[in-house]
Amino acid sequence: MAYPYTHEREVRVLSRGFGEPATRTLEGWKTLGGYEGLTKALEVGRESVIEEVKASGLRGRGGAGFPTGVKWSFMPQEKRGPHYLLCNADESEPGTFKDRELMRWTPHQVIEGCLIAAYAIQAEHVYIYCRGEFFETNQVVARAVEEAYEAGLAGEDILGSGVSIDVTVHQGAGAYICGEETALMESLEGRRGLPRVKPPFPAAIGAFGKPSTINNVETLCAVPHIIAHGGEWYRQWGTEKSPGTKLFCVSGHVRRRGNFELPMGFPLEDLLYDVCGGFEEGRTLKAVIPGGSSVPFLDADDCAGCTLDYEGVIEKGSMLGCASVMVMDDRTNIVKQVRRTVDFFAHESCGQCTPCREGTTWLSRILLRIEKGKGTEEDLDTLVDLGKQMTGTTICVLSDSAAAPVISSIEKFRDDYLALIRRGEAVGAG
Amino acid sequence: MSETKKGPERASVPFRNPGWAGNTGEFDLSEAEVRGDEYVGSRPADGGHPSRAPSYPFMLEDKTPDAPLFEGPYRERYEKILSRYPDMRGALLPVLNLAQELRGHISQETMREVGALLGLSDAYVRGVTTFYTMYNKRPVGRFLIQVCTNVSCNLCGADDVLEAFLENTGTELGETSSDGLFTVMEVECLAACGFPTAVQINSRYYESIGAGDVPGLLEHLRDEGGD
Repeated sequence: MAYPYTHEREVRVLSRGFGEPATRTLEGWKTLGGYEGLTKALEVGRESVIEEVKASGLRGRGGAGFPTGVKWSFMPQEKRGPHYLLCNADESEPGTFKDRELMRWTPHQVIEGCLIAAYAIQAEHVYIYCRGEFFETNQVVARAVEEAYEAGLAGEDILGSGVSIDVTVHQGAGAYICGEETALMESLEGRRGLPRVKPPFPAAIGAFGKPSTINNVETLCAVPHIIAHGGEWYRQWGTEKSPGTKLFCVSGHVRRRGNFELPMGFPLEDLLYDVCGGFEEGRTLKAVIPGGSSVPFLDADDCAGCTLDYEGVIEKGSMLGCASVMVMDDRTNIVKQVRRTVDFFAHESCGQCTPCREGTTWLSRILLRIEKGKGTEEDLDTLVDLGKQMTGTTICVLSDSAAAPVISSIEKFRDDYLALIRRGEAVGAG
Repeated sequence: MSETKKGPERASVPFRNPGWAGNTGEFDLSEAEVRGDEYVGSRPADGGHPSRAPSYPFMLEDKTPDAPLFEGPYRERYEKILSRYPDMRGALLPVLNLAQELRGHISQETMREVGALLGLSDAYVRGVTTFYTMYNKRPVGRFLIQVCTNVSCNLCGADDVLEAFLENTGTELGETSSDGLFTVMEVECLAACGFPTAVQINSRYYESIGAGDVPGLLEHLRDEGGD
């Protein structure tokens, strides 16, 4: 197999520079048309930039799928003080590993996207909130920012346009919850990362009490291409409601794991069996988590005919999230993996809301009891009941996220639970 | 184990991950090319351009638990950090990072000093420091080994990798080996799920690590160090 591995069905727009060390540099990024988007944005004016992004139908890649152009238009038109753009590079949803690749291979793609977005929302300062663990990636992005300053692409009077935008690379310190938009703002302000009650929404009162917009790395990476080539161009891929390409992060039990950039609406089964090469000899599909740890399980039946766009996955009872496809074959001990997921949420709960702080810990304890073969059938009812009480009752959705895999796994893999409860036998090894 | 690393300095490390589409066999990129070492270049002591000052901390080989906060080039970095935030509180996380780089961990005394620098109370700084997992509340070994055991890595044998690290360093989870070299911890998802098992050692990621790679990796760290 030739390397770098790409599949013929991939559409490499954002991932074009992956595996090409030369594209990291400013010069290298320019050979791929880099900073043409920024130049054009400054020429056409900020209203046109927002209109173009609206026309492209680009939706937020951080998980919620909110239309990006619409989000930008919520910012005050008349400026009364500083505006901030925050780039959410606190990638920490289990199963997701696209932003790190985007940042380490194409840091200028991220910066160009940030600058265009900042210009559109009249922000004078961009904070790239980079996950603390990404020491190396941080350094690559920070070097690229420095290069952008040296070339007059950031800082005062960008490209002679009179527009000034500062960029700062901020390093987090290890907290999953800081990927939640308002927790990220709290953290940036030097506080504990506790999500805020909304409203007020960030466009009114965001970071440092000023109007702010926050976008995911991948969302911002799509922006330069949309501005350079037009919103219509971007719509050549994907579906009417979910246009464009998306990086699918595939992990778990497939032959080829990795990031694959595919058009939205790509069939899940084609991703598993064609792009990722299917399972090891003799193994079969058991479950897929299509959008990172926070979303409900799909079983093999759900996967049949499922298309990977925001609507397609909802139709099958889950969510696309950030398209982090975690694949489990028939040797998987579902109960153990659900317990591991819930442990994660229990560890990362900020502790602000009771249903989450208490609920995640209780879920974890009960699941561990079942995993050890000491559970009862009533425990399953307790888990579902607890999960329902944790859904929609807290400030942010971490609580809902912890409950989703529990409730959906009991519904879809009840026999796995019952095998442990009745006979003390785990279905699957790991 | 196939050795694909080019260049002299890390030849014994199982470096097999070029990123984005991991386990596909051969590739002809060097480790430095994948990590971007040459692009980043050497790190100027004063932090370089102010835009990068808050992103700067590293895990130094020599930690100085009683180093002053802050003098010389560290003072310059501290001032650059302050210049990037609208208020002193905003600088808290980067300043704590800087203090940890210098001292190796954040003791109660360090919390107090950082609070005094930024005009924040001890209790407040303590609240923030204990909220975030990357602040070491007590000293750690020369190498801080963090093994991801979250679902994607777990499906591919992360528990065995963690066990191998504990066994080969002769330490217990969260503790430091008797020679002061290794602290082994579990870490939540490192965002390298396509390349299980992902392990972070000090500032660097090592991906696609199997239990069998662990002795060689530890040997390499003992012999050659690394940040």
